[in-house]
Amino acid sequence: MREGNVKKKILVIGSGPIRIGQGIEFDYCSVHCVWALREAGYEALIINNNPETVSTDFDTSDRLYFDPLTLEDVLNVIDREQPEGVIVQFGGQTAINLARPLHEAGVRIIGSSNESIDLAEDRDRFEKVLRELGIPKPAGRGVVSMEAAEQVAEEIGYPVLVRPSYVLGGRAMEIVYSREELQRYMEYAVDVSPRAPILIDKYILGKEVEVDVICDGRECLLPGIMEHIERAGVHSGDSMAVYPPQSLSPHLIEQIVHSATRLALRLEVRGLLNIQFVVDSQTDTALVLEANPRASRTVPYLSKITGVPMVKIATHIMLGRTLQEQGYRGGLYPDSPSIAVKAPVFSFLKLHRVDINLGPEMKSTGEIMGVDTDYPRALYKAMVASGIDVPTEGSLVATIADPDKPEALPIIQGFAELGFRVFATEGTARFLQEHGIPAQAVKKLHEGEDNIEHLIRSGQISLLLNTLSTNKRIEREAARIRRASVEAGVPCLTSLDTARALLLALSARARGEPFALATVDEYLHAPGSLKGSALHG
Amino acid sequence: MPRDTTIQKVLLIGSGPIVIGQAAEFDYAGAQACRALREEGISVVLINSNPATIMTDTEMADRVYIEPLNVEFAERVIARERPDGLLPTLGGQTGLNLATQLSDAGILEKYNVRLLGTPLSAIRQAEDREAFRELMRQIGEPVPESWIVTEEWQLEEPAGAGIWPLIVRPAYTLGGTGGGVAHNPDELYEIARKGLALSMRHQVMVERYLVGWKEIEYEVMRDANDTAITVCNMENLDPMGVHTGDSIVVAPSQTLSDKEYQMLRTASLKIIRALGIEGGCNVQLALDPHSFAYYVIEVNPRVSRSSALASKATGYPIARVSAKIATGLHLDEIENAVTRKTLACFEPALDYCVVKIPRWPFDKFVLADRRISTQMKATGEVMAIDRSFEAALMKAIRSLEVGVYGLSNKTVPQMSDIQLEEAIRVPNDERLWAIAEGFRRGMMLEEIHALSNIDPWFLRKLQHLVSLETRLKLNGKAIARMAARLLQDTRESATPATENTGTEHHLIARLLREAKQAGFSDRTIAEFAEVPELQIRALRKRLEIVPIYKMVDTCAAEFEAATPYYYSCYDREDE
Repeated sequence: MREGNVKKKILVIGSGPIRIGQGIEFDYCSVHCVWALREAGYEALIINNNPETVSTDFDTSDRLYFDPLTLEDVLNVIDREQPEGVIVQFGGQTAINLARPLHEAGVRIIGSSNESIDLAEDRDRFEKVLRELGIPKPAGRGVVSMEAAEQVAEEIGYPVLVRPSYVLGGRAMEIVYSREELQRYMEYAVDVSPRAPILIDKYILGKEVEVDVICDGRECLLPGIMEHIERAGVHSGDSMAVYPPQSLSPHLIEQIVHSATRLALRLEVRGLLNIQFVVDSQTDTALVLEANPRASRTVPYLSKITGVPMVKIATHIMLGRTLQEQGYRGGLYPDSPSIAVKAPVFSFLKLHRVDINLGPEMKSTGEIMGVDTDYPRALYKAMVASGIDVPTEGSLVATIADPDKPEALPIIQGFAELGFRVFATEGTARFLQEHGIPAQAVKKLHEGEDNIEHLIRSGQISLLLNTLSTNKRIEREAARIRRASVEAGVPCLTSLDTARALLLALSARARGEPFALATVDEYLHAPGSLKGSALHG
Repeated sequence: MPRDTTIQKVLLIGSGPIVIGQAAEFDYAGAQACRALREEGISVVLINSNPATIMTDTEMADRVYIEPLNVEFAERVIARERPDGLLPTLGGQTGLNLATQLSDAGILEKYNVRLLGTPLSAIRQAEDREAFRELMRQIGEPVPESWIVTEEWQLEEPAGAGIWPLIVRPAYTLGGTGGGVAHNPDELYEIARKGLALSMRHQVMVERYLVGWKEIEYEVMRDANDTAITVCNMENLDPMGVHTGDSIVVAPSQTLSDKEYQMLRTASLKIIRALGIEGGCNVQLALDPHSFAYYVIEVNPRVSRSSALASKATGYPIARVSAKIATGLHLDEIENAVTRKTLACFEPALDYCVVKIPRWPFDKFVLADRRISTQMKATGEVMAIDRSFEAALMKAIRSLEVGVYGLSNKTVPQMSDIQLEEAIRVPNDERLWAIAEGFRRGMMLEEIHALSNIDPWFLRKLQHLVSLETRLKLNGKAIARMAARLLQDTRESATPATENTGTEHHLIARLLREAKQAGFSDRTIAEFAEVPELQIRALRKRLEIVPIYKMVDTCAAEFEAATPYYYSCYDREDE
């Protein structure tokens, strides 16, 4: 072997192939971890099997092992290299899943211990921790039988969020509105066994908030809080999100920082912890939905917009340095002067027979970021960059489920005021007309020629608004309409929250306010007001 | 020629968000290009909307813009930064399309920005089917019968030509979006209509569908001095008809005769020269398995997913060298960054086999159509390296993280014989396991070949793996016994006392070594032996069946590598 033996070695576990739920962001994290290790004077080794990545570039690490990410293959590399330990926090769920078997095989896990990881990932143990700390979570618990499931659901009341206890990117998660649906879920969607309970939680229709915590065991740094634009029920990977938060009360922010800090300390995190909250607007409290004891998909995005090199700091913590020694201190990092909106990007065009409606199962393949000096303009950039490139006037088609109609009214009115011509299916059109919006009715699919699908395919439509219905027949038609929009290249929004955000973005565009244009650094360090500066030139 | 010193500042356009057809490979390419340019003292301006990329780190480029990738914002970046040049071929189809739009809108001219590397005219000639066919005709390279269609009425001719099936490919789309195979006029009209709507140029090509032909790719590089080399060639295990992004791919090719290899290599070099590419390019060819006939299918005049794979398969950094070429350097002036002794004009040599398997999203989209064809569906891919095709394949399988560690998955054993035949005949994400199951059920190799058109060479390798699997299963109990015996008493010597156990010992030890050399995982062997995985590991170590590590060094160990990059194998000599 080459020189190497003088320096201490650390093995970084990569994240494997790009898939839905585990994308390029973990390659970004792995590479930054390797860089930080090398900077700290360690020999950084990496094992990964994805040929598309920077982490498998031959000069990223000191030594690259192009091998599978299984226990066997990782142990083989460890036998050969005898590293100080292994870092599993940056390779997504692939790497974190290896923590326990590696630990059991006697390998040292650097950063949060196997015990700490297990405490966050095992739902039962995690809930006990929350109870102990007095941090609220949505009501609910795990069940192993149909009878128990029904009982719990009755107890906490429908709708409930159901999912298997060990969750991978929201897999097989559903929002269930009735006993009948619950029975169907328990029967068909999952294998229930005492070893794999099903979790039934109260579904809270509120705002979701996400934080990434960097913890050294004594202090916790929160680089930023991200507020989701779509309400709970849409997978966090499929939601748009904004940094810094736009509608959270100072009280709530304080509560989130406090809960996150106590949780990270109690879990004895060394490095990163991602926590997702849902806000119960009635009580203005943030309830914990889940915690991931690793770098999350938002780390690159937050690092870039806050200027806090999160992976680097976390890696140095794992090597024994404190936040303070690195020039940081605990608490929420001051807000950046700019606003950043993260938006998901989908690949539906390539996937036939896939419904594009958003829900608790993640469907996006990638994401982008829009940055500007205010929220509407950052939103506009995010919309355009994610492919929702809607002109400030044109035609839209609305087909809105009954319970959503009142909420949709001011949004559609806003589009009409911008200059949009509004088409709608019969019920929606009647509702809009009754409320003074000139809407033209179009036929539903089963009503024959010149129906809504033809209209969408005609090329005259620039936007489809379609909220989900609980009526199965309506939903079957709606799924076809949504597919038509994908194939015709017409943006389709299934959440009124996204629609409201788009309206806000288009209004900014229509007012003709100039958009900022600045480098990542300038957005961070720009003096108080970027507005009217040369940046708009 | 030394590098062009009039180039001081270069704009790089990234590929934006990860979508099917454009994954992390362009971050890899862009990050390499940033480094390669800055090494030459060039200041790099970068624009990309995807923050989850290394290329958008302030360490990588001098000026990083995370802004939407459209003409409006790109023009403003150009106006503000005034770059001398734009390198358009490293940001995938997204980057290339944006560069084309900027050029067409006169923005590059207005701000005096030069396009670096491959000239736009060459890119157009490669991407516009008609222009490309014309060029191929001029240089005498064969192209399949085809029709360019821009209006629906033009479909009459191919529909009436009596050549079925026909394949429809739209021009200027990501990963072949909107393409498909038509078996009759109705299907032709349906697919072509969709393709026309999706093509940036409102143009589709309809052409002869080459059922059962081999699909071969060559990664070639050329500099402004007309020096051209092949970096590597690759063979798709799935014959023509499956998008190369959805194919299992092997590097180097395994089933070509030397004559075939040289014939296609010569054609690829002729094509890159005729196009006047300056940088890397991917040439896709179809080869008739029964004669020396071949057709040129298409050329990707830029860095691509295939070039990322070829770079990792050989250790030759295509994106880096392409960026260097764009600054005016010639291949014989660029150092090979792996050996630091050889130059970029040396063609890599491989003494191992590389297998790539696509990663499909059907675990998430359980109701999606799992058939694969000309429209890419994979979100990512895995690659594995080993001394043999079998071992590389087995490693790639367990890299996929789809809960499969060997030759059988959960669904194929449940299939009826008819369903199984269908799963072998029609390409889908489970075909590999269906073929293994076919062999298990006693199907003949010829039968599977007739159904799948997969080359018998690959099928023989799979058949061999299945027979080895059968032997492992039959000897499962013996393996377990041996593990129990050897691991119980650590003082006992690894050589057995009695003659009976001695024979069994040697047979099992040999079988285990053979299985490991063929890529079987401990986990699979443990399942057959019904013991915990770590017992197999301990047993192996006791028997000194442990992997050694070989180096990927671009030169088959001829020179010493400076940047170690390893793969495991159960061979003799460690590097």
